[in-house]
Amino acid sequence: MNENYIKIESKSNVENIAPIRICIATFLSSLNIHIDDLMDVKTALSEAVTNAVDHAYENGEDNKIVVEAKIKDNERIIIIVKDFGKGIEDISLAMTPMYTSKPENEHAGMGFTIMESFMDEVIVDSVVANGTTITLTKDIKRTISNKV
Amino acid sequence: MKYNYENGKLTIYLEEELDISSCKIIRGVIDGYIMKYQPYELVLDLSGVKFMDSSGIGLIIGRYNLIKLLDSKMKVVNAADNIKRIIELSNIKLECVQYE
Repeated sequence: MNENYIKIESKSNVENIAPIRICIATFLSSLNIHIDDLMDVKTALSEAVTNAVDHAYENGEDNKIVVEAKIKDNERIIIIVKDFGKGIEDISLAMTPMYTSKPENEHAGMGFTIMESFMDEVIVDSVVANGTTITLTKDIKRTISNKV
Repeated sequence: MKYNYENGKLTIYLEEELDISSCKIIRGVIDGYIMKYQPYELVLDLSGVKFMDSSGIGLIIGRYNLIKLLDSKMKVVNAADNIKRIIELSNIKLECVQYE
């Protein structure tokens, strides 16, 4: 199996979301991937990273997130976004469309809906007081063959 | 971010990337213009937007709610195809969204 990956460790900071997004999109652009698929992955990634930065940590301490992008056999993209924060108590509630725990911040509650619509698989693994890992997978071989 | 006000119509030209970081800043700026001009119509022109995630949806819904309070109208125009998809996913009844 041919695998390539890039891993970014970042302070949990909203200003770092754009650089993470751009870095991983640049990494993925080495694949023969349709621009629409690249935008899908970029958007889903942005949602997952935004969730981690915005919800995982309640204080302003020096907290970190780890974002990993893997390319397997040039046909599968796997994005892993990990935080070490408070965890999600009710995952199915968090994933409900239009639900937001922070309505005062004008959140649309669309993060998981976008991830699920734009990726083939979304796995949320969360332990309260321990952290959350979101794994996003997209098979690009299939999407390319669909387009041909 | 450019804007234009003419005959009661306020047009905001959004640019680059709409994510949680940029939306926090843009929100305050747009609301400042809305309060200043109290337009009868707000137009959000997305032609310069290269990337948008759900924070952009939150921005649009938030401005829509504010404009409704003023009993005014709002339109979202010139969204690129990938941004249209996100707006459509949001399932918001934005009768104002127009693809010109």
